Amino acid sequence: MTTVTGIDVQSIEEVAASLVKFGDRYRRRLFTNRELDECGDRAEITARELATRFAAKEAVLKILNPSDVIPSWRSIEIQRSGRRFEVVLTAGAAVLARRRGIDEFLLSTSYGGGFAMATVTAETAPFADEVLS
Amino acid sequence: MSDLDAKIRGVIEDQGRLRVTMSSLSDTADLYQNGLSSHASVNVMLGLEDAFDIEFPDAMLKKDTFRSVSAIRGALQSLGVEFS
Repeated sequence: MTTVTGIDVQSIEEVAASLVKFGDRYRRRLFTNRELDECGDRAEITARELATRFAAKEAVLKILNPSDVIPSWRSIEIQRSGRRFEVVLTAGAAVLARRRGIDEFLLSTSYGGGFAMATVTAETAPFADEVLS
Repeated sequence: MSDLDAKIRGVIEDQGRLRVTMSSLSDTADLYQNGLSSHASVNVMLGLEDAFDIEFPDAMLKKDTFRSVSAIRGALQSLGVEFS
């Protein structure tokens, strides 16, 4: 097995601006109903929480390493579970994970200074040992 | 430059958060190399949908679709937008 890591950082202000500019189309394109419910409707907190989830989705994508079509952002769901987050994949993202022999992701998130950050770790099957950027 | 090309460039200028101005980039310049992030590419996509009254299907959501002005023009043409 090979341990791989994906990391991403997202400006909270950029997410807040996108929510203002594109509203529900932005929300629905990127996030599942569960994610939207968990992020609430208080503007400042919602932007921070959605930025955290977007960073997590991007970190997962770096591990999945799609070569052509990018799985829908909604196929990578970041679920709150108590004080932790869990990554749940469906559709194209789940297919990519199976190809890489990944069945579990460990996610850590943080925020500060206007940015949200996510680090995701997973173990891949022996054939998938390339360096991820 | 056609009006539609100018419209594409306007959307990228408004939503792309690039490190440079669009006027300094050719139609084939790589937008990611000039600062387009994944998140900003979502905004560019939504801005293009507004500007051209189209919707990008999930199958077109790949990095190459938004890599350059030329690539975006090709994507829009495949969705039925007519360029003169």
